[in-house]
Amino acid sequence: MNPLFTFRGKPSTTVEILCGAGFALALIGVWEAASDLGWIAPTFLPSPSRVAVAGWGLLTKQHLLWHAGVSTLRVWVAFLIAAAMAVPIGILMSSYRIVGASLEPTIDFIRYLPVPALVPLSIIWFGIGEETKIFLLWLGTFFQLVLLVADDARRVPHEYVEIARTLGGSSRAVLTDVVFRAMGPTLVDNLRITLGWCWTYLILAEIIAADSGLGYVIWSARRFVKTPEVMAGVVVIGIIGLVTDQILRAFHRRLFRYL
Amino acid sequence: MSDDYLRFEGVTKQFGPVPVVAPTDLSIGRGEFVAFLGPSGCGKTTLMRMVGGLDTPTSGRILLEARPVGGPDRRRGMVFQSYSSFPWQTVAENIAFGMRYRDDMSPQEKTASVAHHLALIGLEAFADHYPNRISGGMRQRVAIARTLAAGSEVLLMDEPFGALDALTRERLQVELRRIQAHEAKTTIFVTHDVEEAVFLADRIVVFSQRPARVVAQVDVTAVLGVERSLDLRESRPFFDLRNDVLHLIRHETGDPQ
Repeated sequence: MNPLFTFRGKPSTTVEILCGAGFALALIGVWEAASDLGWIAPTFLPSPSRVAVAGWGLLTKQHLLWHAGVSTLRVWVAFLIAAAMAVPIGILMSSYRIVGASLEPTIDFIRYLPVPALVPLSIIWFGIGEETKIFLLWLGTFFQLVLLVADDARRVPHEYVEIARTLGGSSRAVLTDVVFRAMGPTLVDNLRITLGWCWTYLILAEIIAADSGLGYVIWSARRFVKTPEVMAGVVVIGIIGLVTDQILRAFHRRLFRYL
Repeated sequence: MSDDYLRFEGVTKQFGPVPVVAPTDLSIGRGEFVAFLGPSGCGKTTLMRMVGGLDTPTSGRILLEARPVGGPDRRRGMVFQSYSSFPWQTVAENIAFGMRYRDDMSPQEKTASVAHHLALIGLEAFADHYPNRISGGMRQRVAIARTLAAGSEVLLMDEPFGALDALTRERLQVELRRIQAHEAKTTIFVTHDVEEAVFLADRIVVFSQRPARVVAQVDVTAVLGVERSLDLRESRPFFDLRNDVLHLIRHETGDPQ
């Protein structure tokens, strides 16, 4: 039986990749046709070819790679700081109820504050340098991530913990040898997802106060209504996201072969 | 066989206002295989968990070789029904985990012990398999081997074969009995399956509905002897004893049905 249209069937990986690429190309084709045929004014939606040309211009004349590198660096610095704090704190919140009970109301409160609302405050505190950007990205990810980590750790079956205890493991040993290992796959998944959120806040931070980065490139192009450049900047973010995600997925597969 | 290896003295357990275990006195001898038999949710598991140090008695005490048991340690090993082996470790690594916190063994001794226990459960060919690639029965054998490798003196088994199909369960029962004869570990085996209890145990302790209270004790070895083979299951004495125990359960446990 043909697995392509079987309910919950599994087509081959090649077919899946071809379908994914095919859909993206078809979308680009429709977009190109819509622009070339003059259905939509190019100021609003320039054709993919014009976006590509604009992208080439940015690349050769306006240091696009450097801006992309600056943005990527900001994202990773903030993300790693957030993760390095969220993972241990989240695990402690789930392991010791008193830690969870103490921190959770405050974290929940901050988690619901929209990051854009804190931009003015952040500028007052840190000025418009790198600190503000890192702070805003950290703010947007840490408080979400810490709760996700705490939940991941809580979902580790209690049997695993009790087995390790009856094998003579101390609390600390059980934490590192069992809880941390058991939650590994969901932890890496959640890190991958929150890394994506970092990009959202990055563009916000770079639009408001920056003279470098992809957000800055996009925002300056907008001032002169250079729509192709704006779209080229957006596409670059998408490509970076796509590549990062694929790398992290491959990492996930390698790390957790037993799944 | 000393009768006082493991003693329950007036042990009770309450979860909040709910009494789960009524005052219980019980003695288990060294190397004895005791089945805790009773209706689901009656509190027999809680009683066993208290031996493991995973729950503490509300009153009374549990003595292991005349010393009150404290929190969990290597002397008393648990085997659960599900989540019994670690999915991120291979069969061999799971068994080795039993010795992870033992500093009385050299690395060479640990390696040798893994090989020994792999052979004991007949899974040498699956040493490098992850648990999701082996059957449920094999996973339970791994859990048993890991507890043995830890050097546990008391095996606490909480319906370890409850999730297995009938044929696999029979095979594992024979195997567990064989391992038990070989290793002579004191075992508490919690089950609500009468046949399983009769086939495996030296002695069956029958519990009432919650709160758990000992309503009867059945000396199985006196009737069926120590050797247990699959043929025994079809024999007259096995059948009669099974019926006696079933009768006990129906009439003595206060089962409303």
